[in-house]
Amino acid sequence: MMAGFMTLFAALTAVILAVAGPAEAQERGPLRIEITEGVIEPMPVAVPDFVAQGGAAREWASRIARVVADDLTGTGLFREIPSAAFISPITSFSSPVQFADWKAINAQALISGAVEVEGDGKLVVKFRLYDVFAGQELGDGLRFSGTTEGWRRMAHKVADAVYSRITGEGPYFDSRVAFVAETGPKDARRKRLAIMDYDGANVQYLTDGNSIVLAPRFSPDGQSVLFTSYRSGFPRIYLLNTNSLQSRALEEQPGSMSFAPRFAPDGRTVVYSMTRGGNTDIYTLNIETAETRRLTSSPSIETAPSFSPDGNRIVFESDRSGSQQLYVMPVGGGVPERISFGQGRYGTPVWSPRGDLVAFTKQSKGRFHIGVMRLDGSEERLLTASFLDEGPTWSPNGRVIMFTRETQGAGGQASLYSVDITGRNLKRVRTDTGASDPSWSPLLK
Amino acid sequence: MHAGHYISAAGHLGLIGWLLWGANLAPAPEPFEASDVSVISAEEYAALTAAEIASEASTQAVAPTPPDTSEEAPDIPAAPNEEPPDSTDPMVTQQDDPDQAPDLSGMRPPDPAEADDISPEMGAAPMESATLAPENSERPTPRPAPRVAPAPVAPPEPDSQVDEVRQEERVPDEGAETPAEPQEATAPEEAATEIVTEAEEAPEVAPSASLRPRARPRVPTVGRNSNPPEENTETDADAINSALEEALGETQETAAPQDAVPAGPPLSQGERDALRVAVQRCWNVGSLSSAALATTVIVGVSMERDGRPDVESIRLIGSEGGSDAAARQAFEAARRAIIRCGTNGFDLPEEKYDRWQDIEMTFNPENMRIK
Repeated sequence: MMAGFMTLFAALTAVILAVAGPAEAQERGPLRIEITEGVIEPMPVAVPDFVAQGGAAREWASRIARVVADDLTGTGLFREIPSAAFISPITSFSSPVQFADWKAINAQALISGAVEVEGDGKLVVKFRLYDVFAGQELGDGLRFSGTTEGWRRMAHKVADAVYSRITGEGPYFDSRVAFVAETGPKDARRKRLAIMDYDGANVQYLTDGNSIVLAPRFSPDGQSVLFTSYRSGFPRIYLLNTNSLQSRALEEQPGSMSFAPRFAPDGRTVVYSMTRGGNTDIYTLNIETAETRRLTSSPSIETAPSFSPDGNRIVFESDRSGSQQLYVMPVGGGVPERISFGQGRYGTPVWSPRGDLVAFTKQSKGRFHIGVMRLDGSEERLLTASFLDEGPTWSPNGRVIMFTRETQGAGGQASLYSVDITGRNLKRVRTDTGASDPSWSPLLK
Repeated sequence: MHAGHYISAAGHLGLIGWLLWGANLAPAPEPFEASDVSVISAEEYAALTAAEIASEASTQAVAPTPPDTSEEAPDIPAAPNEEPPDSTDPMVTQQDDPDQAPDLSGMRPPDPAEADDISPEMGAAPMESATLAPENSERPTPRPAPRVAPAPVAPPEPDSQVDEVRQEERVPDEGAETPAEPQEATAPEEAATEIVTEAEEAPEVAPSASLRPRARPRVPTVGRNSNPPEENTETDADAINSALEEALGETQETAAPQDAVPAGPPLSQGERDALRVAVQRCWNVGSLSSAALATTVIVGVSMERDGRPDVESIRLIGSEGGSDAAARQAFEAARRAIIRCGTNGFDLPEEKYDRWQDIEMTFNPENMRIK
């Protein structure tokens, strides 16, 4: 019995020491605290005019810096410090940075750049990014060169590098958007196919507006655009080369209507909807062999297909359940799986380039919304709400969604808006005319 | 054997005999006294009692006995003009009724007190003084329990022997040639340096502040190797011994570098909270990617004595939940937070510098990420 008591005592002692030991040891280590709450606010960034290295570069030095600053502040993640607050302007690209001066105006990031026009007329842009409070350079400096006509693209490249270096997100400034430019009254509207820089600059019209065009979609390489046109009196799918502006019809079956095309990630396959005999189903078309394949055969309406980034699945909308909902099926067809279960009607799904989310249009209680949800239908978030929001398209990095917003009334006009997937930074994209049906291109090469 | 039978038989016989003749052996009852009784009728008894009551009522008035109450009735002065009660009530004359009120004709009311117009002198009213209720009610002192038993009780047998001198226990050695006398260990009775009775002890009072429960120590799991426990095939006794050795060994290991132990008291929870709030005020996650927002990083920093961080010492100790690129973004945001809000020095007690000379901050953005 005594031995048993001693055993029990030893066990209790061991437990007490084992519990008390680490706690005591922790007291003796470094002080440990856990930060779980922070702030969400734009990062103050200083973008002084780039240093013009040579008189010929002076024309571009300031303009490039402005585009860089606009790109960054347009994300809603950065706030530019006005140049009037600068204490020590950058006068030389190679001079050491006076971090104390930038720290004094609370600039957390500093972009120092230089522009030079070489002898062959090429424009050279180089820059460095600094973490002011750490007093060190963030990453390595970069250098771009191109024609002077492409100065905006070089500015976007600089901004992309800064944006990616600070945020960790992929770049998206050096990209384009295809859309339908709308002019004229609502009952006699003229619609033309157009492309522009992501920020609304450099608009280029691709069609003459003699026929109605709808739903342009960029190819994965950004060189061609699929769109729907009523050129023949019925909706047909056309493929347009954005460089040569040559177009051709892809699907011409008598007695049918084809629409809502979208490229597969391989760039050779197109998925679209075709109405034949009063029934609308989803088909794929190989644009090289013109081979078609029917993926759905339901008496309901299946449309708006969109490939997953890996090309293995397709998300689409269908009213087979009695209301318009979202479904996912394998690329070869098969039993679709419904993913939307909320109240209202869901349509125009678009798979995120990251593959983790689906953007959609939702109509509920007389309002239209742009929202995102996961592929299993969870974590649905409505990012916008208005009289009419529709047609989302993803930025190349999957962080921003652009869509069409149309105002109410006879004088209502369509325009393009963008919103961060957090629901913040909703803003109108600058266009000279009315605009609808945006399609974001991949990042330019 | 037979003797028992004889004894039993004798006993039974005795018992039977006592039952049979025992009553005759009882003592004789005491003799009763006889007396003559005369019977009277009811009328004769009424005549006898009526004469006795009438003689008593005519000589004195007896007020009815008031009910016995514990409270004394207040003195009521007699009104000067009050008419005396009518003593000529015919009912009182019916002396044959014992329940009637007695005859009060012979009684006179007391003389009315002379009214005096002079008002009595009134003394000055005492100064009004407010009595403040005590802020704290005194707690009733418990009645001391009797410490002395009313009846003496014999002391219990002492378990141990108290002696004037200390002597060790001696056990006879079996191998010794001359066995020694066994002897118990004794010692003089222990006594305190002073006598403190229960009455002299200070009464316990409620604590002025409630003790806060000690916060559970946060053990960051990020960036730490968590070795799986090895299979234990030892017996219970071995396991206990090994656990004891391990615990003791660990204690000795941690106790060895006592010279490096920070001096001074540890930081209070309030001081730690103040530091945390100061850092998170500058922890801006608005420009982080969703991947970086899913990454927890542990950042180490050495502090100057004036509360400012040594910028060069800020380092990434570990990360969890994201890629290296995401961890880098998260670390840079954390570093900016430490430097920005530590530019003027964190509000840390200098006397506890050894406690916060090295800090490990875990930046966990779980509450900040997009959901």
